[in-house]
Amino acid sequence: MTILVGYLPTPEGEAAVDAGLREGALRGERVIIVNSPRRGAPVDEHMIDDAAGAELLRRARAAGVDAELRQPLHDDDLPETFEALVKETGATLVVIGLRHRSLVGKFIMGSEAQRILMESTVPVLTVKAAQ
Amino acid sequence: MDISPILDGFGVVLEPTNLLYCLIGVIIGMLIGVLPGLGPGATIAILLPITYGIGPVSAIIMLAGIFYGAQYGGTITSVLLRLPGEASSVVTVFDGFALAKQGKAGTALGIAAIGSFIGGTVSIIGLTLVAPVVAGFALDFGPPEYAALGILGVLLISSIGNGNKLKAIIAACVGLLIATVGRDTFTGAERFTFGSLNLAEGIDFIPIAMGLFGLSEILYNLEERHNQVHAPAKVGNVWPSRKDLGQASGAIGRGSLIGFVLGVLPGGGAVLSSLAAYALEKRRAKQPERFGKGAVEGVAAPETANNAAATSSFIPLLTLGIPANATMALMFGALLIQGIQPGPQLVTEHPDVFWGVINSMYIGNILLLIMSIPMVGVFVRILRVRPAIMAPITVLITLLGAYTVRNQVYDIFLVIAFGVLGYLMKKFGFEPGPLVLAFVLGSMIESSARQGLLIFGGDPTGFVTRPISGTIFALILAVAAWPLIRKALPRKTSVERVEEKIK
Amino acid sequence: MSDPTQPPGAAPEQAGLDLQEETERLQAELEEARPPHAGPISQIAAAVVALAVGVFGAVGSYALGLGRLTQPGPGLWPFAISVVIIVLSAVLVVTGRGLQDTERFSRSSLLTAAGLVTLVGLAALLPVIGFEIPSLLLMFIWLRWLGKESWRSSIVISIGAVAAFYVLFVLLLQIPLPRLI
Repeated sequence: MTILVGYLPTPEGEAAVDAGLREGALRGERVIIVNSPRRGAPVDEHMIDDAAGAELLRRARAAGVDAELRQPLHDDDLPETFEALVKETGATLVVIGLRHRSLVGKFIMGSEAQRILMESTVPVLTVKAAQ
Repeated sequence: MDISPILDGFGVVLEPTNLLYCLIGVIIGMLIGVLPGLGPGATIAILLPITYGIGPVSAIIMLAGIFYGAQYGGTITSVLLRLPGEASSVVTVFDGFALAKQGKAGTALGIAAIGSFIGGTVSIIGLTLVAPVVAGFALDFGPPEYAALGILGVLLISSIGNGNKLKAIIAACVGLLIATVGRDTFTGAERFTFGSLNLAEGIDFIPIAMGLFGLSEILYNLEERHNQVHAPAKVGNVWPSRKDLGQASGAIGRGSLIGFVLGVLPGGGAVLSSLAAYALEKRRAKQPERFGKGAVEGVAAPETANNAAATSSFIPLLTLGIPANATMALMFGALLIQGIQPGPQLVTEHPDVFWGVINSMYIGNILLLIMSIPMVGVFVRILRVRPAIMAPITVLITLLGAYTVRNQVYDIFLVIAFGVLGYLMKKFGFEPGPLVLAFVLGSMIESSARQGLLIFGGDPTGFVTRPISGTIFALILAVAAWPLIRKALPRKTSVERVEEKIK
Repeated sequence: MSDPTQPPGAAPEQAGLDLQEETERLQAELEEARPPHAGPISQIAAAVVALAVGVFGAVGSYALGLGRLTQPGPGLWPFAISVVIIVLSAVLVVTGRGLQDTERFSRSSLLTAAGLVTLVGLAALLPVIGFEIPSLLLMFIWLRWLGKESWRSSIVISIGAVAAFYVLFVLLLQIPLPRLI
């Protein structure tokens, strides 16, 4: 059994990893940290480099959790990418961070978190950034 | 040497509009050098219609700025992402990326900027001194010499260019054939027009260049899947330390000279010189094993050389009227559009263009240096732009731009047709560069050859017996036979193999 | 010095280096994105097309009249080029089958074909209904389906870009583009 954690290098992402690792330790399950960059541009600011990835895995070890980092590319289909990973790994829980968005922001950018909430076939745990 | 035209040239450059176009050109060049997808050739092709609206000097100043600006832009991706934007930045990857991994990306970029500036400036000084001399020498050239020179130019580009030589020469011949479409200037006969009024006027350079260089690249990129995404790199301090500068100074000096000399060679001057400069530094180094592991000389040498070469590749264009590479062919076309025939007469007939362009490079290189170091952060951010968003915007600029030249939808269709041709050529291993270059030179070669025949009273041996044209024809034979000679040699040197790999 | 006369490849011989391995590695990495090469049939097909161009040029220019060397006709020069094309293409047909520089057409080539259709559509519609609507459609199709952007950003970017074009071309540069408004 596995837990998928969506991670971006933001306070929300950190909160999601914290919650995911806690949940993994609690249930004694493996955690897969997903840091999925957008396909297309040569650089995605949300993609983390190897050093940051190693740091995440070190945190997981410190929490006593068996963790793995995945960085699949996505187009305009992040929810589908998550769903495919859920199917592939047999995950039972998805953990994502949420941030407050204005109406305009949601209209222009869409809300991928919302789409994951609506489209996921397994329970989703959402967390907010630490105040 | 009379230096007043040179000073007048500075006057031309320092006009606010020309300064502005120089700045615009350098910025566009750096941006597209950083952005994946379009190269400088494609960008210059797409922007050709703009040159109608502005004067010849401003136009060429801007296009030249794009050309050498892109040389530096390509360095940024080489160092930060291990993705050489231009073929001439391939060797920069080895030590540039190694430095970036050590957290010294800023040092590499700073050294590259300073080296580019010095290399460019040395090369411009060389250009200033050498170009009028060559042009003066070439003033005695008659039609037979021009015919020979044109053929040599086409042959050199085809044989040094990327990929298979045979295919390149076939592409060049097709370019020569397309150049004959329209009314024959000697007899007035209509050739390959199929009764079409549009074709009777001949095919314009702009739609060919926009289609084969611009649109074909966009169409080709459409099917490319970008499957590599990188984490943002940290640049750090861009100012190289005094120690680094000291270490790189020799490499910069030698790179400038290598770049200047090799840049004059038609074809891959910039590529060749960056390789040669890197190789020379590695050979001279006391500890050659440092190379590939973050030696500053390994960045300084090729970057200096490729900028020096980019500058000196203007010499054949401005003095002989022979473009040394595909981008120079576009410059040639842009000058022709303005009714200016590049060649030995340029320096005497249009000193404002000649010296304006050369002197704009001094200013452009200063602009490049001023902007590159503080603006690295901006360029790094540009890497986040998705090509998928840029592509349709570029397409619209291309198609609408093509229309604005003569306000004819026919031109749009022509651009699309040549875009498809260029796309198919790329798919089948033919480079569009030689075709465009041969097209540009085509009518010059034909009319010179026919005038030559008239001069010699129909005796083609006249081309060979005149001393200068005879020498050039001997060179043509040497270039044509070179692949056979090389095959006969026992074993290629490793440099040549590397070169072929890179191309 | 400024004489573009040295035979290619002669220059760097001074510099014997072993960049080969590193360059190969880098090249392999960069080439990953390239589709696999397309084999001998496409090579021969390409050479035959070039051959056909040469034959067509030769026939067409022969019909124009070659003239004599003392009085070259309009067809002489194109005829000479066409003969060169024919000879070189024939050589390519024979020797080129082992080359690996062609690219296979893949499913993503359909994207190029679709893109091409939108280009032709724009050119055909431009004189009829002006540039605004065709440009908008082209932008949107390229963003949404060829570029896989989201619906929202496709709509926003295409409207924004066409508006910017309108301001630039029509209002500022006053270029007589055919237009609706």
